[in-house]
Amino acid sequence: MLNYFVVGKPIPRVDAIEKVTGKAIYIDDLMFPNLLYGKVLRSKFAHAKILHLDTSKAEKFPGVKAVVTGKEFATNFDNPLVGSPLADQPFLAVEKVRYIGEPIAVVAAINQEIAEDALDLIRVEYEQLPAVLNVEDALKNDRPLVHESFNNFRCSPGFKPVENSNICCYIEITNGNIEQGFREADFIFEDIFTTHSTQHVPMECHVAIAQFNPDDSITIWAPDQSPYGGQNLISAALKIPESRVRIITPPYIGGGFGGKLNLSGLMPIVAIAWKTNYRPVKIVLTREEEFVSTTIRHSSIIKLKSGVKKDGTIISRYAKLMFDTGAYADIGPIVLGKAATGSLGPYKIPHIKVEGYCVYTNKAIAGAYRGFGIPQVCWAYESQMDIIADKLGINSIDIRLKNIVEEGYITPTEKQEAHAVGLGKCLIKVRENMSQKGEGKIIENRKRGKGVACGYKTAKTPSGANAFVKLNSDAGADIFVSSVEMGQGVNTIFAQIVAEELSIPFNNIRVLPADTNITPFFPASNASRVTFYLGNAVKKAAQDIKEQLFKIAKDILQADKEDLALEQGLFFVKKEPKRKVKIMEIMKKTYPGGISILGRGTYYQYKLGSFPSHVKVEIPTTEVWMYASQGVEVEVDTETGRVKILKVVAVHDVGKAINPITCEGQIEGGVLMALSNAMFEELLFNEKGKILNSSLLDYKIPSALDMPEIKAILVEEAHREGPYGAKGLGEMVAVPTAPAIANAICDAVGIRIKDLPITPDKLLRALKNKCGDCGV
Amino acid sequence: MNCLINLKINGESYQLNVKPNLLLLDLLRYDIGLTGTKRGCDTGECGACTVLLEGRPINSCLMLAVEANEKNILTIEGMAKDGKLHPLQEAFIEKGAVQCGFCTPGMLLSAKALLDANSNPQEEEIKKAIAGNLCRCTGYTKIIKAIISAAEKIKRREQC
Amino acid sequence: MLRKIKDFEYFKPSTLSEAISLLAQHRGRAKILAGGTDLLIQMKQKNLTPEYLIDIKNISELDYIKHDEEESLKIGALVTHSSIVNSTIIQEKFDLLMEASLAVGSVQTRNKGTVVGNICNASPSADTPPVLIALDSRLKLISTIGERIVKIKDFFISPFKNILLENELVAEIQIPNLPVHNGGSYLWLPKITAVDETLVGVGVLIAVDDLIHKTCIMARIGLGSVAPTPIRAKMTEEFLKGKRVEDVIFRQAAEIAANEVSPRSRAEYRREMVKVLVKRALGKALGKIK
Repeated sequence: MLNYFVVGKPIPRVDAIEKVTGKAIYIDDLMFPNLLYGKVLRSKFAHAKILHLDTSKAEKFPGVKAVVTGKEFATNFDNPLVGSPLADQPFLAVEKVRYIGEPIAVVAAINQEIAEDALDLIRVEYEQLPAVLNVEDALKNDRPLVHESFNNFRCSPGFKPVENSNICCYIEITNGNIEQGFREADFIFEDIFTTHSTQHVPMECHVAIAQFNPDDSITIWAPDQSPYGGQNLISAALKIPESRVRIITPPYIGGGFGGKLNLSGLMPIVAIAWKTNYRPVKIVLTREEEFVSTTIRHSSIIKLKSGVKKDGTIISRYAKLMFDTGAYADIGPIVLGKAATGSLGPYKIPHIKVEGYCVYTNKAIAGAYRGFGIPQVCWAYESQMDIIADKLGINSIDIRLKNIVEEGYITPTEKQEAHAVGLGKCLIKVRENMSQKGEGKIIENRKRGKGVACGYKTAKTPSGANAFVKLNSDAGADIFVSSVEMGQGVNTIFAQIVAEELSIPFNNIRVLPADTNITPFFPASNASRVTFYLGNAVKKAAQDIKEQLFKIAKDILQADKEDLALEQGLFFVKKEPKRKVKIMEIMKKTYPGGISILGRGTYYQYKLGSFPSHVKVEIPTTEVWMYASQGVEVEVDTETGRVKILKVVAVHDVGKAINPITCEGQIEGGVLMALSNAMFEELLFNEKGKILNSSLLDYKIPSALDMPEIKAILVEEAHREGPYGAKGLGEMVAVPTAPAIANAICDAVGIRIKDLPITPDKLLRALKNKCGDCGV
Repeated sequence: MNCLINLKINGESYQLNVKPNLLLLDLLRYDIGLTGTKRGCDTGECGACTVLLEGRPINSCLMLAVEANEKNILTIEGMAKDGKLHPLQEAFIEKGAVQCGFCTPGMLLSAKALLDANSNPQEEEIKKAIAGNLCRCTGYTKIIKAIISAAEKIKRREQC
Repeated sequence: MLRKIKDFEYFKPSTLSEAISLLAQHRGRAKILAGGTDLLIQMKQKNLTPEYLIDIKNISELDYIKHDEEESLKIGALVTHSSIVNSTIIQEKFDLLMEASLAVGSVQTRNKGTVVGNICNASPSADTPPVLIALDSRLKLISTIGERIVKIKDFFISPFKNILLENELVAEIQIPNLPVHNGGSYLWLPKITAVDETLVGVGVLIAVDDLIHKTCIMARIGLGSVAPTPIRAKMTEEFLKGKRVEDVIFRQAAEIAANEVSPRSRAEYRREMVKVLVKRALGKALGKIK
């Protein structure tokens, strides 16, 4: 075990001091001279033609400086469409609206009230069209089409939608012989599981400021998880060079969870900024707009069929996934791809088949949401795992231990060698940390139960990652990276990495906010990839500086490089520690006129030819898997159907915890979010496709009074390529919670819930049906 | 018709001419420039806009600026005194109670009101006191630990 | 859609008579502002667009909790939920009202929101009305014409509608003294999370002849969020009277109560919860009888 002096230590976060004093800057805290405020007019119908749009009254309203419509913007930029891997979405609706809340026009005025009042003056005439509001209807023969044609969409290779259908993307993966696998099984289990839509509900709503410049470039200040992603989308859509699209992120983002990716929900600001005569314009979404117009989690229907031997060995598994992606693709096809490759669980299964459908409907756009498709499939395979264990009379942890992948196993869906598999350790630690039977007092009408679930997720590949580090003459350092600090603690761990490599004080290291004109490329702070990929790049950049310092130090100390060591900011000759020089002295002596030493780091993990050929759609996979197991203890009130979560034991294999406190924080927060997703949250759509609970009055997220005891435990199965062995974490925390809860409920009262969310109404009805009026 | 109001914010006196429909939240953020108070939901559900009105937490998104006439308001910017952090602020840093930070100002003010009234709160009392401050990042575990730790700090300092 | 609040003119009178004359003067176009925790949301949602707001918080004569053995309990229009929760007399003698005020929102809401405001908003799911019904409360309504006293159960008309005339305001809640051997409680379930609108709220007050026979001599039950307005479960009350209070009776009473309600959304579940909560609330009330 290597000894690190900063890495692995529970160091307080670098950003905490600004955040506890109210000095931390978020986008809405920024004020610009001459700033205008934009408000977006949104569709009232799920599917309709725009027959006529009259903005003339709004334009004349005192204080209004600009109004833009979809048609005007589309005409000027030759029908620009946004999206990757499928560019199918206009900045503002042009001829047709495809979901309630879709942006149609934008007003910019000298203040928000005027902009709001002017919106009321815009007249829209619609011709309503029949809408498709669920996946099953969307796949029927006589269904209305959300998109009539896919001809003018720009598609990445392999992501062509199925013409004359609502199928945005289809994926098939096979391995072994599925029919043979079912024939050889002693038992076949077939179940249908469903999951629901949820909103990310970051505490900070989406917001952006944008300004067109006289050189036809645009600058956007936005709390975005993927500044380079947003840059790429706008540049591709407007057919202008990437260098003319500058995305600047603020020092801090008030939560992301996948919802603040690729400027989703914010594209209308580009259209209005184009009309304001170079004046900056700010759009702040209200919480209601946040609900109806930013991306949500894919709801899904998952059919799972498994062939199992008497001893509990799973030998074959078929999964059919139907994901509701809403009116536009956004990142839906990638979510489906991730879900498909992860749909069979972290298990050794020789015979497999997966069919995945990403389906358009006239609903809010589904996109990235913490876990990226994996929570949905984990809900299915981990619920079924307990059904299997129950039927075969095998302990639920033992059956998992029997089937889980091991080091070197070639995974059936990705066809890659599993590495750094800490899953067995996670399961065993869950077992050790759950309460024993009989603990806690027994109350009438309160039944207690325990449940376990596990899961895995890959971090995204390819992920090009660049970092610069600038060592200043006082031996402080600045880190230039395009990750964003949205709460996960990335700035802290990068400072730790640089402090570790250069042995300089942690407190003198800062991470700059991402800016596509300044900080180098990184795809996005998503997919649990920042620590692994960008962490490696930061480490390399620091090592680059170290190399340069070593060269200078060996001249000053007149020693060979091999004989030198660096510790605590001091170079010294190993055999004669008195011959030493401080980093700061090196800088001052060598460059009396002042200098920065610049370090470059690049990490690119992408093996050409590693695409699994059996996957019909190219889904670049990864060598980085995250593993976890969670155990849940519940108490069910059999009279009310209400479930109290008593305790969650969450064991996560992080490879190496660069900062254990931030890891724990991610786990505790992620578990509560997943618990809430499973039990409290559900976007409710009416028969017209309207979201009924679009405020925090009706869509509830948990307060401190709703939290269970959460015990976060870290397992460190080091990854050979990870920085100090680190993998990722942020998404995995939200993966196994829901099935663990359902399994615990089943243990308590014998009711198997297969449809999320788990509500008291649902559970009470099932209890009544099961027991009649016997009162359980 | 505008109203003339006098109020104290973080101990400083202000005289302001405000429209009656101006929210206290907007007065603080845009007229005074105290952007530490955050807007999260505009319906009094999330608590990001919490400030202390005469020492008690209220949602500034559900209070008109004119209602604050002749009142004392404490915002997050006034919590540290003479450049010295409040024990709660220290504890939030030490215990890892901060993630994205958007709920933090409101959370700290609710916690301060609790500790001002109850120097030795039990965990359940803490949960009730901060139940109006939603946090989507932390799962509250470390926030509660930090408040307990701050209460101990304050006690220790008072004994000294 | 939640938007900026429309312009209005603001008054802050310092006497009650000033307030009611302003109300009379701007009849139908003015609203009373006390805590504002409901009103400002309604105004943001444009459900209400008053041209005048009369802020009554400077009227110190409306901020009181008074109790004496003859006149019983009187609560002024400015009393917040937090004041209720912290009042010793309420904790000692009317703790079911404290339980209801504690069920209201978060600390922030309780610090600003008033009990009278909770009533005037006339939300079917408000927490204090079921308890105030169980306590047989009366409201003092005042206008420039004069004052009238109404029973709280007669105050509500339909969701978010009450009997207040445009020139009237509610100045006071009056709660009569309670019989000797009484016990009361408020139990509620949230729609989803702990800080949430109430799904079903049950306020009960029972009294018995003596501590040996425990024959019910008085029972009042208020139910919230299970009908267009808060309601009184009269048949259930009648059933309980004259019976010995015990679990088996409470279970039967709960079945009757479930037939007195008319919930709209989540109807099946709400009805079931009326059964559970009435039974449990009666049990809890019984436990408090001294």
